[in-house]
Amino acid sequence: MKLKKLAAVSLAAMMTLSLAACGGSGDEGGAESGGTAITIFNSKMEIQDQFEEVAEKYTEATGVDVEVYYSSDTVAAHLATKYSSNDPYTLSMVDAKDVYNLAEEHAVDLSDQEWVSQTPYAITINDKVVGFPLCVEARGLIYNADAIEAITGTPFDPAQYQTLDAFKGLLDQLVAGGMESPTGVLKEDWSMAGHYLPQVYEEQADPDAFVTGLTEGTVDLANDPKYNSLMETFETLMDYNYAKDSAISAEREVTSQKLAEGEIAFMFGGNWDWAVLSAYDYSDNMGIMPVPQNTDDGTNTKLVGGGSKYFFIDSSENTTDEQRQAAKDFLNWLVSDPEGNAFLTDDCQLVPAYSNISADNLDPLGTSVKFYADAGNLIPNYNFLPDDHYAVLGAKMQEYLAGQIDRTQFAQDIVDYWKTAQVIPH
Amino acid sequence: MNTNSMSYKSKQYIMFAGITTLVFVAVVIAPFIYGLYLTFTSWDGVSRDKPFVGLANYVATFQDSAFWAALGRTFFYSIIAVILVNVVAFILAYLVTRGVKGQNFFRAGFFIPNLIGGIVLGYVWKFVFNRALVAIGESLSVGALSTSWLSTPNGAMACLIIVAVWQYAGYMMLIYVAGFMSVSNDVLEAAKIDGCTDFQTIVHISVPLMVSSFVQCLFLTITRCFMVYDVNLSLTKGEPFNSSVMAAMHVYNQAFTYKNYGTGQAEALVLFIVCAVVGVLQVYIGKKAEVSA
Amino acid sequence: MDKNAKAARNKKIRHALMLVLLVVLFLLFIFPFILVIINVFKEKADITTDPLALIGAHGFTLENFPEAMEKMEFWKVFGNSAIITICSTIFTLLLSSMTAFVIVRNNWKLTGLLFGLMIASMVIPFQVLMIPLVSLYGGIFGILNHRATLIFMHVGFSLSMATFMFHGAIKTNVPISLEEAATIDGCTRWQTYWKVVFPLLKPTIATVAIIDAMAFWNDYLLPSLVLAKKELYTIPIATQMFYGTFSTDLGLIMAALLLAMLPILILYLFLQRFIVEGVTSGAVK
Repeated sequence: MKLKKLAAVSLAAMMTLSLAACGGSGDEGGAESGGTAITIFNSKMEIQDQFEEVAEKYTEATGVDVEVYYSSDTVAAHLATKYSSNDPYTLSMVDAKDVYNLAEEHAVDLSDQEWVSQTPYAITINDKVVGFPLCVEARGLIYNADAIEAITGTPFDPAQYQTLDAFKGLLDQLVAGGMESPTGVLKEDWSMAGHYLPQVYEEQADPDAFVTGLTEGTVDLANDPKYNSLMETFETLMDYNYAKDSAISAEREVTSQKLAEGEIAFMFGGNWDWAVLSAYDYSDNMGIMPVPQNTDDGTNTKLVGGGSKYFFIDSSENTTDEQRQAAKDFLNWLVSDPEGNAFLTDDCQLVPAYSNISADNLDPLGTSVKFYADAGNLIPNYNFLPDDHYAVLGAKMQEYLAGQIDRTQFAQDIVDYWKTAQVIPH
Repeated sequence: MNTNSMSYKSKQYIMFAGITTLVFVAVVIAPFIYGLYLTFTSWDGVSRDKPFVGLANYVATFQDSAFWAALGRTFFYSIIAVILVNVVAFILAYLVTRGVKGQNFFRAGFFIPNLIGGIVLGYVWKFVFNRALVAIGESLSVGALSTSWLSTPNGAMACLIIVAVWQYAGYMMLIYVAGFMSVSNDVLEAAKIDGCTDFQTIVHISVPLMVSSFVQCLFLTITRCFMVYDVNLSLTKGEPFNSSVMAAMHVYNQAFTYKNYGTGQAEALVLFIVCAVVGVLQVYIGKKAEVSA
Repeated sequence: MDKNAKAARNKKIRHALMLVLLVVLFLLFIFPFILVIINVFKEKADITTDPLALIGAHGFTLENFPEAMEKMEFWKVFGNSAIITICSTIFTLLLSSMTAFVIVRNNWKLTGLLFGLMIASMVIPFQVLMIPLVSLYGGIFGILNHRATLIFMHVGFSLSMATFMFHGAIKTNVPISLEEAATIDGCTRWQTYWKVVFPLLKPTIATVAIIDAMAFWNDYLLPSLVLAKKELYTIPIATQMFYGTFSTDLGLIMAALLLAMLPILILYLFLQRFIVEGVTSGAVK
């Protein structure tokens, strides 16, 4: 009897508790101010903290309640669950390729916005501007000039090492000077097949035609000069890799720390890497230089990159017109308000994508990227690679990195992949 | 009272299992059926249209060699892991039911790995395999340890199995402990008086009386190993060269990374059927053993 | 006499050997945790440089804790996790043990079907149900973002396993003769269940309670789908926020891990004693 009572009481207690919990959980957020409430999805982890802070400030100043969310799930999977549950974010920050996937059904036309004329990087689909670029990011070879100068004794000028021959000479000089292995290679699939390999397409005279050729099977990749020139450089990076024998298990954190602290001098990456590098005893005297290649087509004087991380505004009936207006206001605030600018360039250290925003206090890598971007020396990203490109070819490139397949075989694997792959319609 | 009448049966059923049935159907069965419907569409996960495509996703499933490779790999992993987990768990359960000093402390200790979620646990072990073991290997100059095991396909598989044993052994130990303790002392003492050695007592008395514990543990380990995802993701992420992608991970990637939602769902269904067949077979055999014991 | 003394000595030696073995195994089992604990007091750079060192080059630091607690909003998420875990566990225990009882004791078509479906459902990968689940509950019913919804789903997903475990326990540990005696004494099935059967299930209740409470406490994927609002976040969601593709702060993560583990560890140590007690007091004679 006692047990039965106990069970009944606890059951009743739990019911009340969960009901109370339920009642308490309802619609607390946003409603109390009586103003509009918008939600923002942030897919750039390293600025989450700053973003939350600025959202608070923005709410105080404007009365619009802004909540910033981040998900460790993949962007596509996370947004899929949000759309399935009819609970999309007002503003979503996604990668360029996702904009092409999502915008037609889910994004609002932003063509009439003021910032459109201030950036060359906005995404336009069917003559409508739908993607608001958050920043500029670019890829290249990150160097630690302090580490190099400590051995060579002369100031490091990246412009002298644009060709692979010159670069190799420098590497040998570093080895002779006591730096046993001057390079590091990130083995992550997104770095190899998402960032390095696409240069093969992006540095072609006509990337679209080249990729179409790949899908149609008309490209002889194994004998393509660009492929060979870039892989030649990649093999050099492999040869001088500090983790040559276990390249496939080298961790990003360790490689970054070695670079930041000058144990190695070079690593292929982009300005987003600063968030990791700056966690260690870093040297300020770093930068990004073009990937050295023995070529005269000018690609070895440029970084590869452009607009990165795009905002779009939800067009579904789950979002009200007031919310959409508030979202547009927020984007305008980022571009035209000094505080919005400060958030982008000072708090988040992002290279601005807008001509009216000046940025003088960027981190060393951002400074490099801005230098190349301002001079018009960025080769544009190719944003239409299929979703499985980096995963499938990333695995292949890891085999190549581990020395299990050679350059010709890797080329064959790429050609095979493209037999069935389809680019994102654009 | 007619215990065979329909009204008695339904009253009893509703009283004891009514709410359960309701919740279970609402949370598991209904979404499952809806998911089944989605396998006949070419939905990409985010679009508003869900075009009906018939059996195309199933055809794609049978042509997806990477899926079958992942399934075969999962079989291999599961067989080894299930055996090792249960052997280790049984030995642990034996050791902590002998009345050794502090056995409660040890029971608690061996169970600790279960206190952490799979994702986190994978990161911790990645740290151990990639860094700690390598550091130890270098300082003691043990060749086998000086490069990370995670860098070769076989090594990565071994790491996954080691983590599975570490993760589940304590859990299964609990079930075996309950089994050991449910064997009444009278029976054991009788065996001792009859001159059985400890080993004989275990093999001839405890084990047959613990069949239900074995059935439970085997079923749990088999299903868990077959559906491994969290640790797979955080420990190896399928690397090196996608050689450690297990079935569940392939399904997830197919649905979300490659955005073939329908095909992913169809492959998940195949995985489910394989799991169900293995699970039912094992329970069936276990039940037979229970009856004959 | 001599024989007894010898046996006692043998027993002692055996126990000593077992103890040594246990200690070695125990150290192997908690090795990763020791790593977490020694690294939680270090700065990020030191963790990467030398994970095994007891104290990093930058010295001993306690800063990881307050920072992690602040970033997680520890007490708020702790409260959410606690409510959800406690409610879900109690509902699961009550419902599943009752269901197992009716399944074991009655060989009806309906009970057989239910049990069969439950066993089969245990092998459905969660990823399969994820999208349909949110489509139904978010898209059609619109009841996401409530703790009660999550509790409901937690219970739904864990019922199968719990029923399965109670099924085994009732079958082996509850003699049918006791129930028959209760029926003769005039108890209804309902009374028999609560007076006779339920008390005998204590060890299994403790086991299932621990296992489910832990699963609820640690679950990430389901809560992250159901609770999309910040004020509803649970500990794993908050912990997961530290992880990112492009940056990780190991020191903070270690602190968050430790914070997330402690409550469940304490609960476990408490229930651990209860298991032993339950097993000995409720032993079948």
